[in-house]
Amino acid sequence: MGEAAAALEIAAGGAGDGPPRVRVHGEWTFRGLAAAKAALARQLSEIERHPARELQWDLSGITALDDAGAVWLARALREARSIEVPERHQEILRQASEGLLVPREARKGFDPLWAVVALGAAGINLAVHLRDGVNMLGQLAIDVFHVARQPRETPLLELSAGVFRAGVTALPVTMLVGFLVGIVLTYLSALQLARYGADLLVINIVGVGVVRELGPMLASIIAAGRSGSAITAQLGVMRVTEEIEALSVMGISITSRLVLPKVIALAIALPLVAFCTDLAALVGAMLVAKFTLGIAPAAFMEALPRAVEVVNFWIGIGKSVAFGFAVAFVACHYGLRVLPNTDSLAVGVTRSVVSSITCVILLDAIFAILLRNVG
Amino acid sequence: MSAENVVEVRKLLNTVGKNHVLHRDLELEVRRDEVMTLVGGSGSGKTQLLRVILGLKRPAGGSVRVFGVDWQRGSANEIRRARQRMGMLFQNGALYSALTVYENVAFPLRERKGLDEDAVRAIVNAKLAQVELEPQHGKLLPANLSGGMVKRVSLARALALSPELLILDEPTAGLDPDRSERFVQLIKRLREEQRFAVLMVTHDLDTLNDLTTRVAVLADQHIIACGRLDEVRDHPHRFVQNFFGGDRGRRAFEG
Repeated sequence: MGEAAAALEIAAGGAGDGPPRVRVHGEWTFRGLAAAKAALARQLSEIERHPARELQWDLSGITALDDAGAVWLARALREARSIEVPERHQEILRQASEGLLVPREARKGFDPLWAVVALGAAGINLAVHLRDGVNMLGQLAIDVFHVARQPRETPLLELSAGVFRAGVTALPVTMLVGFLVGIVLTYLSALQLARYGADLLVINIVGVGVVRELGPMLASIIAAGRSGSAITAQLGVMRVTEEIEALSVMGISITSRLVLPKVIALAIALPLVAFCTDLAALVGAMLVAKFTLGIAPAAFMEALPRAVEVVNFWIGIGKSVAFGFAVAFVACHYGLRVLPNTDSLAVGVTRSVVSSITCVILLDAIFAILLRNVG
Repeated sequence: MSAENVVEVRKLLNTVGKNHVLHRDLELEVRRDEVMTLVGGSGSGKTQLLRVILGLKRPAGGSVRVFGVDWQRGSANEIRRARQRMGMLFQNGALYSALTVYENVAFPLRERKGLDEDAVRAIVNAKLAQVELEPQHGKLLPANLSGGMVKRVSLARALALSPELLILDEPTAGLDPDRSERFVQLIKRLREEQRFAVLMVTHDLDTLNDLTTRVAVLADQHIIACGRLDEVRDHPHRFVQNFFGGDRGRRAFEG
């Protein structure tokens, strides 16, 4: 099958006084064209020296014609008057020449007010997100109320699966990060404090910093990356495969069946993860304190309760509950907004992770201001 | 092998998982310029056979040749060229959801390279016209299309490279009778304009009756009968009798 006879074309001078004739024959397919590209270009420029209207085209020698060949011919024949085409090739040539005539999409002109338009669109977008978020929050509250009145409807299976997935499986990575951050933080503060001879203050700084801020923060940022993205992707794919619609049709509330278990599960799991992260970070701190400042682990343990009031621990745990709720809530919000196409899914997951991390930091700032006199 | 066959399946052994044999000693050929219909009960492995022929699944034994190229033994270049000579219409369209209708049809043309953007535009518009879509439909995203339109766009994409073999998986499934009738007429018309072979899987007796040149019946792990419709219909196998002999079958073939 390999011998694709190259598309050829002979420009024979007209017989005697007649107009010049162009005979087209061979395989006018994509491969035939590719094989004879250079020769064809040369012949075409030769043909173009004759006035286009006088030429007589004879296409009866074509053995095979596909779209690529038809488009080539349709361009060359644009101005031709006299064309002989065999019946079987007429349709494809007509379609190709009509295809060439379809006007190109007009480019959109530059809008001098684009900045205003973009700002307005962003504002509207934000308002829509806030409205939908408040809407879902309200729906969640109703669902919680409903479940509280009928405790048998508590989605225990989903809850425990969610806690396991967002909590237990996240432990290795969060604890490793916590341990490393504990080491780094202790090193940095130990270097500074040693200059002033205030070595023991390192326990205060690292203890409060880790327990109150860094533990919950690290845990929730990693949860946003792990669980948040997973939730958004899962809900998004359910939207793409119309599973969400199937749930609605069965009269099952999407928020109570899909959103509520995930939100509660992460709100339960994140404090536990944050607690383990605290422990790992403090172990890291203890190690560095031993090797750089010579503080024995026993002394470290003894000083810790005096340096860090217990209320700080509870603030940290309380914040992680809020962070877990926020991460899962934002992830669900974006997951349910995914449109049924792959692009929207990618955008949704990206936005979900970015927004949930932003949301966590925002909440953290609010807590810092509200609780500035505590602990 | 003869140049007349675009698809040749010889002594195919196809397994699912470790031990479950789906096809054994399966022989099938699709000739140039014919419409071959593959029928078989649910779970008989029609779609799996298509996947093997498309080179998406590696058979456990036997050989599959499309345009004389064996998916396992051919060079990368041969395989690429053979793939450019075939088009596939997936059951659910399998349009790229992030691309518009126009970009979906233009995609194989642009990937093949060698055509400038004006030529691509002309071909895409010609293809859209062939499947009875307007140029302004090109701006839509697949998510906004109806089921019938998805099928037509998908057909336009499958035809974009002027294939010599078109593979159709349930081309009329999910279309209403009127739509599926029009879809069958469309394929019929396109086949008159451009000669190409068709290998299709269908359960729809009307589609089968309207389009097919030959029928292959897949049952008991291999092709139990293959030939023209009137030859195959008299085969004594239970599936053939139920499929063609039922009330629906009689009604479809009486007209």
